[in-house]
Amino acid sequence: MSVNRLHGLLRVFRGVGMAALMLLAVAPLQAADGTALSAEQWLARLAPALNMTTYRGVFVYARGDRVNTMQVAHRYHQGQVEERLVQQDGANGEIVRKGMRVVCVLPDHGHIQLDEVIPSGPFAEAFSRQLTPVNRWYQPQLQGEGRVAGHQTVVIALKAKDPHRYSYQLWLEKQTGLLVKSYVRSRTGEVLESFQFTQLEIVDQLPDSEFEVQSAGREVQKRQLDQPARSLAPRMTGWTLGWQPEGFMPAATPRAASSQAVAFSDGLAAFSVFVESVGQLAMPTGASRIGATTAYMRSLQTAGTGFLVTVVGEIPPETAMQVAESVAIEDVAVFQEGVQ
Amino acid sequence: MDDRLKETLSAMMDDHADELCVRRVLSYSDQAKVREQWQRWQQIRDLMQDGALADPVRDVTRPVREAIDGQGREAPGAPVAAPRPRRHWYWSAVAMIVVGVAAGVGLGVDWQGAGSDAMVAVSGPPAATVVPEVALQGLDEQQWEHLSRYLLEHAQHNSVGAGRGALGYARLASVSGPGD
Repeated sequence: MSVNRLHGLLRVFRGVGMAALMLLAVAPLQAADGTALSAEQWLARLAPALNMTTYRGVFVYARGDRVNTMQVAHRYHQGQVEERLVQQDGANGEIVRKGMRVVCVLPDHGHIQLDEVIPSGPFAEAFSRQLTPVNRWYQPQLQGEGRVAGHQTVVIALKAKDPHRYSYQLWLEKQTGLLVKSYVRSRTGEVLESFQFTQLEIVDQLPDSEFEVQSAGREVQKRQLDQPARSLAPRMTGWTLGWQPEGFMPAATPRAASSQAVAFSDGLAAFSVFVESVGQLAMPTGASRIGATTAYMRSLQTAGTGFLVTVVGEIPPETAMQVAESVAIEDVAVFQEGVQ
Repeated sequence: MDDRLKETLSAMMDDHADELCVRRVLSYSDQAKVREQWQRWQQIRDLMQDGALADPVRDVTRPVREAIDGQGREAPGAPVAAPRPRRHWYWSAVAMIVVGVAAGVGLGVDWQGAGSDAMVAVSGPPAATVVPEVALQGLDEQQWEHLSRYLLEHAQHNSVGAGRGALGYARLASVSGPGD
């Protein structure tokens, strides 16, 4: 076979490959127009859409009485996700991410640690890899169409099947499947947390300049996330958790400085349990709510030592309380070592 | 009030009570409690059956007692001042039904089952599902510092960490932003 023929063949193969790629690219468009996709199919598209879509815009995030506005630019460039988010209210703050590297500049808490963060995945993963469990605990339902920030959307509800979690409502842009609006709803339908683009441009490409850190100099913290998926073993020695709602599996665990912590996720919602031996600090018992986030605190005395159990997560107060109440201290000594 | 007395009351409500039952109920030391239970059950049943409240609420204890003692001096059913304002019953009944719906009990359940359990929740000590609330504004600086550290750690790992894209960052920024 001559070199020329080989080249020719390769060209053909490349052509076929391109055609296949183009088909792939076109397929969602057709489906979007045909609106034949089921809620599950839309959810399956959400994962790649969150990472692979190139867009810029402004979104509003509200929970409780807090409203934040952020500007965002996002692209998939040379095989990795790049994004830059700039806080629009209050003090300046920005987050720039290039693949696994995240640079975070946040005004008040300049000490935000991102070294254990895994900056990829879901919503993405929740809706792809873990679609089955999500389906198991939530009932997906197509709720028609809508319009957000000038874009046509489909509306999908994920209704919690039991009272231990909240329900979700998602607006996905019709052409790309990008999440452009979301609600977290209580059982009674009250909107606890909302996220919504107010301005959105979905484009083919964005210039490099839009992904540069611009407020460098002051409180910039750089963290290299070379080993992002380092094993995040839950720190759970000396205490046990007697109950967690069905479907919540151990997840990436907060690495708390002075306390022990474990985290659980059902694919959509997550909660963390912190157990700490408290010295002089007295905390009240009960739940505080910020939008969809509940923090349930409980004090506990074991062998003359005071402990504080705190459950934080996007779960109803009743669930958080039940989880917190099920914590039992088994070995006080473990905590005393930890404190010193 | 013990279970036996409740059963007796329940039987009375279903018209299955005999004179002995009535005497037992009337001789119970805490008549206010008996009335309270009876009225609440009645109100709930009325609300569930036809959405209307029995009106007016009357205390017929004395005429009934006198009637079965065979010395009735007043016509049975003569109005006697209700022991407490009527609205009280209305609201507790409504509140209970609302609680029932919120807890997923729904209106379809048989009223006796739901009623007798929920009853305790309304009148007795707070039920297990009543979550005490802690107002964030009420925390002192040290307490807030402590709690916000947890909020931040949770947001970091479960929002940004879980890779929820923009939404994850928004959650994080919402915790770490100007704390007002």
